[in-house]
Parts: sequence; structure tokens; C-alpha cells
Amino acid sequence: MSGKDVATKMKTRVILGEDRILHGSSFDAPTSFASVGVENGLNVEKFTEEVKVEVNDVSEDGNDLVFELSGVDAPLANTLRRILLSEVPTMAIEIAEFRDNTSVIQDEVFAHRLGLVPIKADPAFFETHVSGNEHTPENTLIFDLNVKCFRDINNEVVNSKVFASALVWTPFGEQAERFAENPPQVVHPDILLAKLAPGQRIDVRCYVTKGVGKVHAKWSPVATASYRLLPEPVIVAQPKSEEASRIAQTCPTKVFDIEDSGELVVARPRQCTMCRECIRPPPDAQHSAHGVYTPAVELRRVKTHFIFSVESTGILPPDRLVRDAIGVLKDRALFYAELFDQKDFEEHMAAASHSDGDDDASDDETKPMLE
Amino acid sequence: MNEPERYELFVLPEGVEKLSLEKDTKVPNAATFTIQCEDHTLGNLLRMNLLENDKVLFAGYKIPHPLENYLLLRIQTVPESTPSAALQQALSDLVQSVAVLEETFKEQMSGIKSREGTYL
Repeated sequence: MSGKDVATKMKTRVILGEDRILHGSSFDAPTSFASVGVENGLNVEKFTEEVKVEVNDVSEDGNDLVFELSGVDAPLANTLRRILLSEVPTMAIEIAEFRDNTSVIQDEVFAHRLGLVPIKADPAFFETHVSGNEHTPENTLIFDLNVKCFRDINNEVVNSKVFASALVWTPFGEQAERFAENPPQVVHPDILLAKLAPGQRIDVRCYVTKGVGKVHAKWSPVATASYRLLPEPVIVAQPKSEEASRIAQTCPTKVFDIEDSGELVVARPRQCTMCRECIRPPPDAQHSAHGVYTPAVELRRVKTHFIFSVESTGILPPDRLVRDAIGVLKDRALFYAELFDQKDFEEHMAAASHSDGDDDASDDETKPMLE
Repeated sequence: MNEPERYELFVLPEGVEKLSLEKDTKVPNAATFTIQCEDHTLGNLLRMNLLENDKVLFAGYKIPHPLENYLLLRIQTVPESTPSAALQQALSDLVQSVAVLEETFKEQMSGIKSREGTYL
């Protein structure tokens, strides 16, 4: 392997050894591999060329999305993940006004449970409600919950369980017309909120407002959003047939197949959990002269290839969430780019250096060190 | 009790600038930017974008205290450039690459929808 190949491997792969992990960190500096002629800096053209999205799997209910994002660095993937968890807005119950609560569950505990109920309403139609300001039809939805438990004429207990379906949308202002086609409702009507005994009653008015997950997790639009690096098991030296079948059999996730020719092949790399069973020396392992066992397989992960999994709470479809997350990031970047144009930092820098009389001298002293 | 107010995460305190710069008095071509109401989401991304610029000698960020919502971004460049030019470059690169990512994702998702028809 030439120096260039080694550098490229270090740059793009994490290698899992039996007892160590190699090249786990990323090499950010553009000059990291300059001595062997491997370019490390990233520019927009290169990014455009390399970035790829591939959708793997959408669950039957449409709430889970698995897609692969490749050609990006870890910080960008992580930013997307963090934004999905904490900065994509949704609607959730923020204020609960109790008119009556004779149940055993306390007001504050019940209010907390109410807050966590996912409300299916598109946040794009609402403005953010600033606490202390008035609730308007543009920033608030109202849900009422009024349940009384009693015995009917057959002495059967009615309404002993309060489910999320008891939360009924009450149109506020013009909302009845605005949301006629798509009335706001709870996502899961079968969430058990409280239990009542005959004679007990809960009557609450809930104010639903727009918010983000970093303020409170109830506004987080995802159950989870996570990514893992693409596993890449590679057969570096074709093992003998006995060894090959041992490796294929010991792999708990059945990553390997044996061809008719007896050759070991990597058939399902995405199933690899990096358990390292395939690189563990067997009890009767053939060690080299130096006492080193060389496994037939090398376990790697691709550093720039992320398998994203987004599980929506059901409020918004997951592809919309990812698009929203990218939108949030884009708005943020644009905001700072514009803010930057308004400020005159260049002048500030220049002014600061002119005000110091002896600054030029110290500049000259340090310059050679930088070059 | 002493719980920080929720709105502090995104409401700028009065009289505080969203983005400010302080020039390093000892190291040439170095400055520290203070960005209010931001966390690792933006900090790490900017750090990466800055490091990919070959005019940047040093770029790093820190969040000095977990209960205070600001980050410090320190940049040192070669004499031919300035920290603010480097950050401006990083931001414009970010805007462009995110736009590319957005397009790529939309394209891919529209393909999926038309193929399966029923999805979403």
C-alpha cells in the first residue's frame, strides 16, 4: 500500500481491531495529508459532487424513515440529528386550565401527562406564542377534556378510563373554516391518561401552542432520530474452507455467505453490528511466527456514510421532518450570513490593530513562526 | 427555584449583541467571536467548515458554561486573511452546501413518493 492509499483509508474509514479502534477521529485540517498528496479540504463543488441521499425503508404506517446520507462529514450529520430532536417546531399542550378535577390524579401530574400527548396539527399554520402574550387563533389551538365517570342503569361503570380521544378540539375564532378539511386531533386516541371512579370528574381546557424540543421534549417531533456509520466488513485474505464456514456460522447476524465454490463473501454488510466475532481468533487459531493471528476479515465503517433513522411521533411525516430540519439549518446559516454582511468586522479588526502602537512590531516577530 | 427561564434559549437579553467579535491582543490574525443563543448544533458545524479552509490556522469553539447560552468561536488565520473573512467564507459555504443537501433530499423523496404512490 502506498502512502496515498494509507492516508485515504485513514481519512475515510474507521477500522475495528480485535482490541482497538483505529482512525476513529476525523481529520479536519486541509493539510492533514498534504505530504502524501491527498486533498482533505472540502469545498462546495466537491460537496455537491459527493453528497448523496438514498431512501432505504419507510415503515408501513409511514412514521419511520431510514435513509442513507453519504458524502458529508460527521458535524453536518450530527447537526441534522440535533435539529431534528430539538429545533423542528410542533404543536403541544402548553397550558391546562382545570375547571374541575375530583380524580385521584393531581392537577399538575395530569397537566404534565396532557403536555406529552402528540397533537396532529401542522405547525406551519401557526405563529409562535410568546408566553405572557394573548392567545389568538393564529398562535393557539384549544382542546377541551370533560369526562365524568358514573354508573348507568345496569349498574355498569361508564368512563372509568380517560383516553386521549377525550381531548376534543374546540375551534377558536376563524379556525372552524381554516381547518375544516383537516381538523386538529390527537395522533393516538388510545393513550390512557387517567382512571376515574364513579362520581369523579375531570374538566380541563388545554391551550396548544407551537414550540421546539429544546424548550421542552413534548415539542420534539421525533421519537428518536439517530444515525450509524455504514458497516464495511471486507475479506482481506480468502480463508480455507473450514475457516470460511466457521466465520459464516459464528456471525450472529449472518453477514457472510459461502458461495458454491466454497468462497466466503460478504452478502449483507448492513446487518453487521460490529460484534467482532469474525475477527476473534478461534481456540485452535494458527498464529504466525510472531504469535499474531491475522483474521481473514477486516471490519471497517465508512466515516462519511450515515444510515439515518427517523421515527416520527406521527404529527408530521418523517420526510417532512427532515426537510424541515434542513430548512431550519438553511435559515440559520442565511441569518448569520446576512448578519455578517451588516457588521463591519473587517474594519473592527483593522481599527483594533491601528490603535495599538507597538502592534506592528509584535506582528513581525510572530510572522515567521506562522509560515 | 434557580431554574433558568425557558425563553432564555432563544430570546436575546437586552443590550446584548447576537454576534460580536473580540480581537486577540497577543496573537496576530486571531479573534474570538461570541455568538449568543447557540449551542453545539451550530458551533461544531462552523468549526468544521472553518477547518476546511486552508487559510485557517486554528478554529475551535467552546460553551463556557452549560447554563449560559452562548458559544465562543476562536479563529486564527494566515496573515493574508482575517478571522472575519474566514467566518464569512464558512457561512457562505454552509448556505450553499445546505441548499445542495436540500435539493438532493427533495429529489430523492419525490422519486420515492411517485414510485410507491401511496406513501404519505
